[in-house]
Amino acid sequence: MTLTISEAGQNVVAGTFRKAMKRAGEALGSMSGQVIEVETPMLRRCSASDVLAMAGGPESIVLAVYVGINGSLQGHALLLFSPADAHRLAAILLTGLLGPGELPMEESPDVLSYDELELSALQEAGNVTISAFLNELGTHLHEPVMPTPPQVIIEMAGAVLDAVLLDLVNDADQVLAAKTTFTEGGRAIDGTLFVLPRADSLRVLLEALGAIGI
Amino acid sequence: MTLTESPSLLVAGIGEMVLSSGSDSHLVAYGLGSCIALAVWDPRTRVGGLAHFMLPSGPANDGSPVKFIDSGLDVFLKATEAKGAMLSRSVFKAAGAAAMLTVGGGLAIGKRNAEAMAAALAERGYSLTATALGGNAGRTVQLEVSDGRFLIKSLSSVSEL
Repeated sequence: MTLTISEAGQNVVAGTFRKAMKRAGEALGSMSGQVIEVETPMLRRCSASDVLAMAGGPESIVLAVYVGINGSLQGHALLLFSPADAHRLAAILLTGLLGPGELPMEESPDVLSYDELELSALQEAGNVTISAFLNELGTHLHEPVMPTPPQVIIEMAGAVLDAVLLDLVNDADQVLAAKTTFTEGGRAIDGTLFVLPRADSLRVLLEALGAIGI
Repeated sequence: MTLTESPSLLVAGIGEMVLSSGSDSHLVAYGLGSCIALAVWDPRTRVGGLAHFMLPSGPANDGSPVKFIDSGLDVFLKATEAKGAMLSRSVFKAAGAAAMLTVGGGLAIGKRNAEAMAAALAERGYSLTATALGGNAGRTVQLEVSDGRFLIKSLSSVSEL
């Protein structure tokens, strides 16, 4: 699918995505009780291998929270953390819930091993963050956006992303990738949010935003 | 998690292929999820090729020669022959085609990739001698051009085909 978007149209899309990413950061912040800084989102039309590079390369190990997007907008959303940052975020979230002193804050000896409580907290963090993004986007659409339940995957970034990319590149050689990084000041937790709409619903989104024909 | 650091490490990115006749070459595809990697190796000439396919079929396209199995397999096999492999005596091994996502229907592309690869090879009179396909773990694969060993590494294990 070839979709030509004017510069003005691109600015409209970028503005909306920026706002939605900011909402996502705020949601993560209020869940964790921390001030979360949201990096200015990067919005690119790029190839599958570019998306893998944006995620740190296919072999970098990540904890990913995946949410499928259905309804008026179709696509995929992923919130990625490095394994160590995911442990730190889980500790912050659980300390907020359980009170201080309940959880050891030191690094786990096996950084790829998470207990059920941690996984549940991270899954919810991903869910809340991605839902906040979609809610903001949904205010521009006529029909609701329906996210799937979240899934946590601890894997090589390439393996997590390729299933998603395969769904996208079937219809188009290029995908629209929106990416931002959340940083929690004191403890430097970097989370990366990817939102990857399908080619056929990209037009729906652009039309809803008034980005086509301007 | 790189299996072997070497100047002769050739990487097949997503939708790409690499070929070599160099005895010190290692052909690698990183982080396969639902994608499928096909390794071809001729034990006589010690020529190897590794292709990182994405999907069973699709419209002929741009710069990714082996994006689709239907249009890309012949491109890959011809390139391997041109490099010096005789396909009739070569070994074919495949890995990947996992199901990474369980939500949203799971995007059962991995399974379709595995089936399409077996069928496309059979049509041409070839078959896979060893596979590490399916499951729900990501894989990094490496073909050793010197001896045809096919190394499979996941987060929890390393194996050899």
